[in-house]
Amino acid sequence: MRFPKPRRVTLYILLVFFAFLFLLPLWTCITTSFKPVHDVIYTTPVELPLSPTAEPLITALNIMQRPLLNSFTFTISAMILSCLLGSINGYILTKIRFRGSDTVFLFFSIGIFIPYQAVLVPLVLTMSKLGLFNHIEGLILTHTAYGIPITTLLFRNFYGVIPNSLIMAAKTDGAGTWTIYRRIVLPLSLLPFVVAAVFQFTSIWNDFLFGVALARGSEAQPASVALANLRGTTEFQWNVQMAGTLWYALPVLVIFFVLGKYLMRGYMAGAVKG
Amino acid sequence: MLTKDRIVTLILFLPSLVLVGYFVYVTIGWNVVVSLSDWKGLTPSYNIVGFDQYTRLFQDPTFFTALKNNLVLILLFVPGSLFLGLFLAILLDLKVRGEGVFRGIYLLPFALSFVVTAVLWAWMYNPSIGVINTLLMKTGLGFLKSGWITDPNVGLYCVVLAIIWQFSGYTMLIFLAGIRSIPESQMMAAEVDGASGFDLYRLVVIPQLKAPALSAFVVLMVFALKAFDFIFVLTDYSDYTYILPLMMFRETFSMNRFSYGAAIATILFLLALVIVVPYLYLSFRREKE
Repeated sequence: MRFPKPRRVTLYILLVFFAFLFLLPLWTCITTSFKPVHDVIYTTPVELPLSPTAEPLITALNIMQRPLLNSFTFTISAMILSCLLGSINGYILTKIRFRGSDTVFLFFSIGIFIPYQAVLVPLVLTMSKLGLFNHIEGLILTHTAYGIPITTLLFRNFYGVIPNSLIMAAKTDGAGTWTIYRRIVLPLSLLPFVVAAVFQFTSIWNDFLFGVALARGSEAQPASVALANLRGTTEFQWNVQMAGTLWYALPVLVIFFVLGKYLMRGYMAGAVKG
Repeated sequence: MLTKDRIVTLILFLPSLVLVGYFVYVTIGWNVVVSLSDWKGLTPSYNIVGFDQYTRLFQDPTFFTALKNNLVLILLFVPGSLFLGLFLAILLDLKVRGEGVFRGIYLLPFALSFVVTAVLWAWMYNPSIGVINTLLMKTGLGFLKSGWITDPNVGLYCVVLAIIWQFSGYTMLIFLAGIRSIPESQMMAAEVDGASGFDLYRLVVIPQLKAPALSAFVVLMVFALKAFDFIFVLTDYSDYTYILPLMMFRETFSMNRFSYGAAIATILFLLALVIVVPYLYLSFRREKE
């Protein structure tokens, strides 16, 4: 629908105004990351640096390097595992089915929404018992397990539209569960795999609660926890804090700009966060 | 009958069944058991004392502070995000040039980690050289300067504002998809009947957005219950932003009162269940039809 002209001007003013509000925190983060201490004090946060420097970025990277590497390791591993399992589950729950498969799915779905506080104490105990406390493997296991409900939902939505006749035809040709999955379902799964992978990467990368509860030592510390600590140790060095924030946010920003439309599909299919 | 094919299915499904069964359901049950014990300190004790922790909780003034703050947060954040998201969705639906760019900008905060947004907003709200106060000074609005997040009177509202900023792009996305699924013919019919501008949205579009509004509502409610990262990083354990998830974490991991923390966690779980189960039940019934 189109409004008459003067109202269209108001419309764009509103849109730009909101765009400004939404971008302001990120913009000042970028400008401040390139400012020496002097500029942080003598320029407003929205202004560009007077004498741009990469110093804060280098300082922050030195502190964040190991945690960033840790985060990459467990995020990518748990992303791959939870997507594979989700794909298999989605296939079984839509195309194989068994008595009670809808109930199983309902119980999986509840897993999407539970406040993780409700599992935190037993989770910490379990990881200690398994000797995985403060270990990357513990985070991989945790993020894989809690990722299964949402990836199952995502793949189930996609597989719901694969025609059953396709599966039936393969069955009459004598193909079994695994063959049908590998030969028919998997080749049709590029899109759901991209959507689920992008979704899982960002949510695991962004996690803080599991990280702070399961990996307090430096060996497995995630970047989210390192950034929160950086905020404590560099209280007045805003430029270093902002630079650390930028490093930590960078992979998600890249995904957002390159694969944003897939991320949106994930959000719309039952987005949850936190 | 247990055919070879059934065994294959079982083997494929088993890892997920075990993982979800253990990490979601066994741990929740275990947490309830811990909440009924008297475990304090670092060695687990399963000396069951019944509902002692819950009785203590209901006599603990900090519990009610946290509950009250949690409620204020929910009452402001949930409608706030829904309305701003709806407003942005309607703006974008008005055949805007560069719609994709605006949509991307509004959604961007939602993709970021709460730790990122907490540090960003700490910088926005910083009273001495932070973004908001500096901009107010420069534009001659210095009298509006405030301690923001450090001010006990407005700190909680500052948190609410920041998480509305982070979530309204998400509600916008959900509403926009809902608006776009309404057939064009209905809109045209209403226009022929003389409806125009925002009337068209009020009379024709908004009444049809119940389903997206409900799913966004559930996501926002559950988030508002368990919001932890953002407030923990931004304000630590300040009284005026102390909510149940913070209390749970502090009692458990700072004070080592494991059974007490587990009791708070159980209450959080039950509150989430009250919101989620009816919703899941409804969506399942709709799917079956």
